[in-house]
Amino acid sequence: MISLPFFPIWFFQVLGTLAVLIFSFLSLRVTRKLMARDPENALWLFLDWLTLGFVIFSVSHATSHIIQELINHFGQSPTLWRLRRIFGGFDSIIYVIIAATILFFHRIQRLYRRMEADHHHLEETSHEILALNREMEALVMERTMSEMALGMAHGIRNPLHVIGGFSNRLLRKTDPDDPTRAWLSTIAEEARRIEQMVARFESLAQRKESFFNQEDLNGIVGDTLELLRPEVSAKNISLVTDFYPKPLVGRLNRHLLKVALSHLIRNAVEATRPYGKIIVRTIVEKDYAKLTIQDTGRGMPPEVVEKVFVPFYTTKIGGTGLGMVFVRQIVDEHRGVIALDSKVGRGTTVTIRLPHRFVDKAELEAPGPSAGPQAPPESGGGQE
Amino acid sequence: MKRRLAQIFSGVLALLLYSPSHALAQGWFLWGTEGSYVHQLAHLLFCGAMIFFIYEMRGEKLQRYRGFGYLMWGCGILALWNLDAVVGHTLEWGRMNRTMIGHGLSERLVMEDWETWFYYITKIDHFALLIPAFYLYYRGLKTLALESKFEPR
Repeated sequence: MISLPFFPIWFFQVLGTLAVLIFSFLSLRVTRKLMARDPENALWLFLDWLTLGFVIFSVSHATSHIIQELINHFGQSPTLWRLRRIFGGFDSIIYVIIAATILFFHRIQRLYRRMEADHHHLEETSHEILALNREMEALVMERTMSEMALGMAHGIRNPLHVIGGFSNRLLRKTDPDDPTRAWLSTIAEEARRIEQMVARFESLAQRKESFFNQEDLNGIVGDTLELLRPEVSAKNISLVTDFYPKPLVGRLNRHLLKVALSHLIRNAVEATRPYGKIIVRTIVEKDYAKLTIQDTGRGMPPEVVEKVFVPFYTTKIGGTGLGMVFVRQIVDEHRGVIALDSKVGRGTTVTIRLPHRFVDKAELEAPGPSAGPQAPPESGGGQE
Repeated sequence: MKRRLAQIFSGVLALLLYSPSHALAQGWFLWGTEGSYVHQLAHLLFCGAMIFFIYEMRGEKLQRYRGFGYLMWGCGILALWNLDAVVGHTLEWGRMNRTMIGHGLSERLVMEDWETWFYYITKIDHFALLIPAFYLYYRGLKTLALESKFEPR
């Protein structure tokens, strides 16, 4: 009958045990270095734990096989048998620990990835908010400065009229030989120069292209809806538009209004169940251009509606609570009014009214921005 | 604290080693005992975890990185080693009194039947498979460490 030597088994046993010990400790050295380099890296932490499991496994496995060899060579010793069994049991435990480490880190990795995605989203939102904030600040500052300058110009013009008028009257009443005539003439001349400067300044200030340009509200709403159409379609929501038949041209900030409308429509999409409806409507109502966004979503209870415009108040997980605050600020900058009407289970209607003093009545009837640039208002009708 | 832990550990060990014995005659686990099932199941769990780890790495398409490639091969061999160990243990614990001739280094195993052949092969595999598995695992980590040095975080 064939018999095979036990030597190859011993050879591989010694070689295998040594190799496993050496490689597992070398691996641990590598993972420790990786951990030292980047202690917050979840992957390195996982590999470090796994390697630590392998190190314990290599030691336990080697020990149990050494004890087995001792039993084979030195006969049956109850103590050695017990040790062999203990290490056999320990091997079982370490296999379970290795498996648990892998499964546990799988869950941790999913959480880590979600956290990273949330972090990325928050960073993006934060950048957007920062940019929007800067834009709003610049807008407010420009308009304030412009108003102040116009106010000052207006204030200077009246005393100048008085100075100019009286100096001219005095000049007419003064003898040609009077030495003060030259002085009065200089006063009248300088008053006229300042008056001309103020008039030029007012004309420039009124003509100046600011953050608010001649824009069609219907066009802005239409563009925003086109931008968000994929999100609406993805949820199988029916989007109904009902625009005022004529262009609602006025002095609007296209970018800011698009930001505000995007936010409101996204909110409506989020709140509306699939196969629901969102209606966007623009009409002219007395002195206002009125825009309504109506959804058939879950709606909000009165206590939530009350706090919608409170900074940092949010009902969304990961929300900043600043979206609606910015929306209101944008509407405010247009000297408009925003109102919210919501019923739980019925939906929400957001109404934005932009006053005609900002959307010139004359411009409402204009054929649209494509008809050419609008003339600046002659008087303060379009301004404050 | 460390001293107390060492005391507890040595106490438990002594209790285990010197407690009255009645079933120490054969094998480190007798096939059919609870310990033998736990050990075999632990091997299968270890094998499953390795396969799951490979599946996860493939799912993330990490094989394009050389380091993860080595890790996958290392884990694959470890999974195979576990299956080999399950078969080996079953054969080893199934029959304790194999016919041996000679002594010491010249000891030989008589190949009585196919089971003994399997036992002999799995016994060699049990150690032979671990060498490439741990080498590839180490190489994988080493390559990952090198690759990560040049990649932005």
